Amino acid sequence: MSQWLTLLQKETLEMWRNFKWIWVPITFILLGVKEPLTSYYMPQILDAVGGLPEGAVIQIPTPSAAEVLITGLGQYTTLGVLIIVLTTMGIIASERKSGVAAMILVKPVSFQSFVTAKWAGSALLMWISFFIGYLATWYYTGFLFEWIPFDQFLQTYFFYALWLTVILTITVFCSAALMSPGIAGFISLAAAIVISLVSNTLSNWFEWSPAQLTAYANEVLIGQGISDHSLPAGILAVVCIIVLLSLSVLIFRKKELAA
Amino acid sequence: MSLIQISGLKKQFQGTEVIKGLDFSLDKGKCIALLGPNGAGKTTTLRMLSGLMNPTEGKITFTEAKKGEDIRGLIGYLPQFPVFYDWMTGLEFLSYVGRLAGLSAKEAKERSLELLELVGILDAKNRKTAKYSGGMKQRLGIAQALIHRPQLIMLDEPVSALDPIGRREVLDLLEGLKKETTILFSTHILSDAEEVCDEILFLHNGKIVESGTMTELRERHQQAKIDLFFRGKAVQYAHFLETHEVTQSVMLEGNRVSIFVKDIAIARRAFLQAIAEQNWPLEKFEVSSMTLEDVFMKVVRK
Amino acid sequence: MDQLANYMPILAPIAIIQLILLITAIIDLVRIERTNGPKWLWALIILFINIIGPILYFVIGRRSN
Repeated sequence: MSQWLTLLQKETLEMWRNFKWIWVPITFILLGVKEPLTSYYMPQILDAVGGLPEGAVIQIPTPSAAEVLITGLGQYTTLGVLIIVLTTMGIIASERKSGVAAMILVKPVSFQSFVTAKWAGSALLMWISFFIGYLATWYYTGFLFEWIPFDQFLQTYFFYALWLTVILTITVFCSAALMSPGIAGFISLAAAIVISLVSNTLSNWFEWSPAQLTAYANEVLIGQGISDHSLPAGILAVVCIIVLLSLSVLIFRKKELAA
Repeated sequence: MSLIQISGLKKQFQGTEVIKGLDFSLDKGKCIALLGPNGAGKTTTLRMLSGLMNPTEGKITFTEAKKGEDIRGLIGYLPQFPVFYDWMTGLEFLSYVGRLAGLSAKEAKERSLELLELVGILDAKNRKTAKYSGGMKQRLGIAQALIHRPQLIMLDEPVSALDPIGRREVLDLLEGLKKETTILFSTHILSDAEEVCDEILFLHNGKIVESGTMTELRERHQQAKIDLFFRGKAVQYAHFLETHEVTQSVMLEGNRVSIFVKDIAIARRAFLQAIAEQNWPLEKFEVSSMTLEDVFMKVVRK
Repeated sequence: MDQLANYMPILAPIAIIQLILLITAIIDLVRIERTNGPKWLWALIILFINIIGPILYFVIGRRSN
């Protein structure tokens, strides 16, 4: 356990040194907050940009708070995912490529701890960044539109975070299985997109898909309550995470560290 | 008292056998050089011993390891090109590795400072490893190999990449380490092996072709040798020397011919006569016994 | 002017964190040994492309090892 904590501590320290603890949360704030701001100021923005013919009146219906929040959350499943994948794809692959993984693993370090501590480090960064970002989005939405109950905020945070953790784990898995960070990132992104697309278009067949968690969260926001399918989807997400992590350890242990 | 025993060690890469069955044991407290030309399989052998590579066949046994014990804890390993986290300072890296090897935070720091002092880079302890020079990295690499007081340290070409001054310093460092632990280091430079080590394992084409202590090797290969130095290329005289009945083998190198002979007296008479009769442009005639370098060359050319 | 005063409490925090993002990117750029692509180009990108510039730098401009 103490070895695992040492490994995790190294991950968090590294994220301070390369400023990830600063720029990732800020990016997540800006990503989400953009939505309530632009929706709220849309009339003024159009006005200021001008160029509309004299007398043209644009009627923009004021969106509801839930709609704003859902669009804001949409940013996290697109650009947010991109950032998660890009910052995580090298986590194991680049250490192996540079040879520093070999320096560490000639010491009596368990492979399982090595992989899971890395996963935990990047998951921690993602959970905290997403929490801060979504909290800011929720706050601005409440301030400018209407307040969404805080327990709904927490529920939806949990659903989205679980899906993002699945994607993060896919990335960690690719990083452990492949030698090149670039290819690992590409495959992770492709996997995330395919899973989302398939689950969304065939949503009747894939009610238990972890990708549907975001849809169930959105239902919570528009007042439909928690879907019955969210439990199996959540359980499957956790199973996916555990299986992928175990596979990562297995593959990483099999691979020879020195090429 | 043997520390580690290797039997039938083999390694294949994509069907080609790189290590073709090694059997040897290392004695406790000795300094052993793994000597061989580039591509002989030195790095592969060390990687298998350190656990970074899995042998295709064969066994590595630590005599003193308890059942189920992680042998990585008994080994310190320095790869040929050590790499560090470039955002860590030298002290941070050593402490980190020390803690991973099971030391407490306090122990790890104390031991790190002690080792930084030993390898002579204590001044740079708070500098990022990204700013270290090649020699400093090599020293930090040696320090990290020693951090958990391993029973065996393995160094892969520890001096090859260094300038003459750095080489001297690292060799002196190794000389000092011999008292504390068993050392196995690979090199392709014979004089380094000769200088620091008690024993030599000659590796060539994935096999151990010769091994033993320095004195054993010299005795075994003691053989009369005559060196002839010519003005100009020596190749045109080689044929005569090669075919002479007293000759065992001949090595050519530029203007020098080394002839290993069965009987020095007969050979001396015969060659001097030939030189005089055929009026060869001889510059130097030398009778000597085999050096370790000759052993090396002979073994490699076999 | 009136309107601007109204917007201030809403927009000021955003402006501040944007500034923090920009400053950390610049500090990192100054300290780092090498970047992917020329450093001066990254300096321009960070300074002149609002928000996206610094993020782009952190995601693809940094190079470790």
